[in-house]
Amino acid sequence: MAAGLRLVIAEDAAIMRDGLTQTLTRRGHDVVAAVADGESLRQAVAACRPDVAIIDVRMPPTHTDEGLRAAQSIRRDHPEVGVLVFSQYIETQAAADLLAGAPEGVGYLLKDRVADVSDFIDAITRVAAGGTVLDPEVVRHLLRASRRGDTLASLTPREREVLSLVAQGRSNIAIASAFTISPRVVEKHVASIFAKLGLPESTNDNRRVLATIRYLKS
Amino acid sequence: MTRSRWRRRLTSGAGAYSGQVQKARAWIRRHPWQADGALAVVLLVLSSKQVTVGPVSAELAARMVNVLLAATVLARRRYPVAAFAAAAAIGAAQLAFGLQTGAPPPVAALQPTMTDLAIPVLLYTLAAYRPRRISIPGLVLCLLGSAVAITRWAPAGTAPPGGVVAAAAGLAGVALTAWVLGDSVAYRYRRAKYAAVEERAARLEAERDAQARIAAAAERARELQERRARAVDESAARLRRIERDLHDGAQVRLTALAMALGEIKENLEQTVIGDNDDDGERMRKLVGTAHANAKETLTELRDLARGIHPPVLDRGLEAALSSLAETSAVPVRLTASAIAWPSPAIEAIAYFCAAELLANVAKHSSASQAAITVSDGPGKVLVTVTDDGTGGAHLAPGGGLAGLLERVQTVDGQLDVNSPPGGPTIITIELPRQA
Repeated sequence: MAAGLRLVIAEDAAIMRDGLTQTLTRRGHDVVAAVADGESLRQAVAACRPDVAIIDVRMPPTHTDEGLRAAQSIRRDHPEVGVLVFSQYIETQAAADLLAGAPEGVGYLLKDRVADVSDFIDAITRVAAGGTVLDPEVVRHLLRASRRGDTLASLTPREREVLSLVAQGRSNIAIASAFTISPRVVEKHVASIFAKLGLPESTNDNRRVLATIRYLKS
Repeated sequence: MTRSRWRRRLTSGAGAYSGQVQKARAWIRRHPWQADGALAVVLLVLSSKQVTVGPVSAELAARMVNVLLAATVLARRRYPVAAFAAAAAIGAAQLAFGLQTGAPPPVAALQPTMTDLAIPVLLYTLAAYRPRRISIPGLVLCLLGSAVAITRWAPAGTAPPGGVVAAAAGLAGVALTAWVLGDSVAYRYRRAKYAAVEERAARLEAERDAQARIAAAAERARELQERRARAVDESAARLRRIERDLHDGAQVRLTALAMALGEIKENLEQTVIGDNDDDGERMRKLVGTAHANAKETLTELRDLARGIHPPVLDRGLEAALSSLAETSAVPVRLTASAIAWPSPAIEAIAYFCAAELLANVAKHSSASQAAITVSDGPGKVLVTVTDDGTGGAHLAPGGGLAGLLERVQTVDGQLDVNSPPGGPTIITIELPRQA
């Protein structure tokens, strides 16, 4: 396991806050602060400079999108701090807004994902390493609602699966291991997909997430 | 005698007149000056033969007196008291200077003539046009005048008593008859006026009642409208609260539970289990099922909460519709040009309608494109959902659109379906800005 990460948790429900803290601590990470609202989060991030801030979208006082706004201000003020936003509901626009610009070290996950602990911790690790994490559900929504249905229909089933993982922020190596195929085959798939979508090929995992989202939303 | 019987008598009395008499009366009522003029002329003509005695100057004076007396008739309607007073004064002068028993009068010009019939006419007018407190003194004056006239004409003992009594009775009778006739006209007039006033009062009262009822109904309608608006707002707020309670309560606990199960499951998976350890294997399966169930329940709970109150609505209708458009299976173009956004309860109705309509588009229309347009008019908001599908959507009882219509009607909204076979489909929902 990688060296323990320094984490800040912002979640207004005590039971979740404590559960996350305990689970992450048990997995060898260092939860340096666990707070319950956006303002405390900003202060904690400024004080502790964690590797990643894990942020619930709905927090007091308005219980609407405090988490998102706090995440954006953290990205502005502390670009070196990764943010992983988790939400009870999927909102593709919120996800797109969060990733817009610099997708490095940003994640957006459905809250349920914490149930698969290892996957969740993997996501935190990827965000800490400057990667992009986009919830599979968001990607599914994007693919389903995309007006590029005709072009998407020209992809092979395997290519669609690969595109979905690309949009989630997976690296070629991760995709290769997910499908138990060789990274070279993944590279070929990705090249074919981007050619069909008319997108310039990017070796940067984060950049290609953005390109994919932009394409799907256009 | 009761009032209704009085009325019946009056109406039947009026009905007893023949048509011609009624017409004549009507003409007279319409032409009072001509009628009175004719009467004055008749009086003058009747008396003209009587004034032939004496020298020319006396005759002229006598005619002057007659003309004056006749002229009072002309003024009777406008100045009943003055006209009567003038006639009575002339009459008194005649009594004083125009009569002498058994001898020519001292003043020939003041000899009584037929024109004196003007006096009962004026008494009649007085009784008809003025209250009794004025007309009764007039009557008394006339009766006194009659008595005096008789004594002047025939002092006691000079004429046979029967003739004097008859003459006295005749004069008094004329005066009395004139007064009674006039008084009965006045009485009828007063009754009619009273009835009219009464009727007007009743009408006013009925009108006031009706207006009060209308005002009460309007007040009630306003009150019901307010109450309904409150109910709609409260219900929207309650749904929002339920969603938040779910979010803060059940969903959080279930997420924590699923996380704990996930951790147990992963721990069990990492534990080395012997080949024959059936218990360990069973435990693993059990935890795996529990974990999967917890996750499944989380998904269901999320869908349920979203159905109760989509949290995205807390960020406004436009954000909510945009989220809806993003997740639609059919590509949706959203145009929101509303300037003033409606109340939360109305936004919720608009959102659920749009969601249902988009679901319909995806399910039934075979459309390749859809659009949601939000615009606003004075006091209202319009949501239009269009698609380029096959059309043929209609409001069928018990159908999805009928359900939407019901929902929209809870706030006096309207739903219009325009969906010819072959498409396109345009469904317009009009909602008030406030419930």
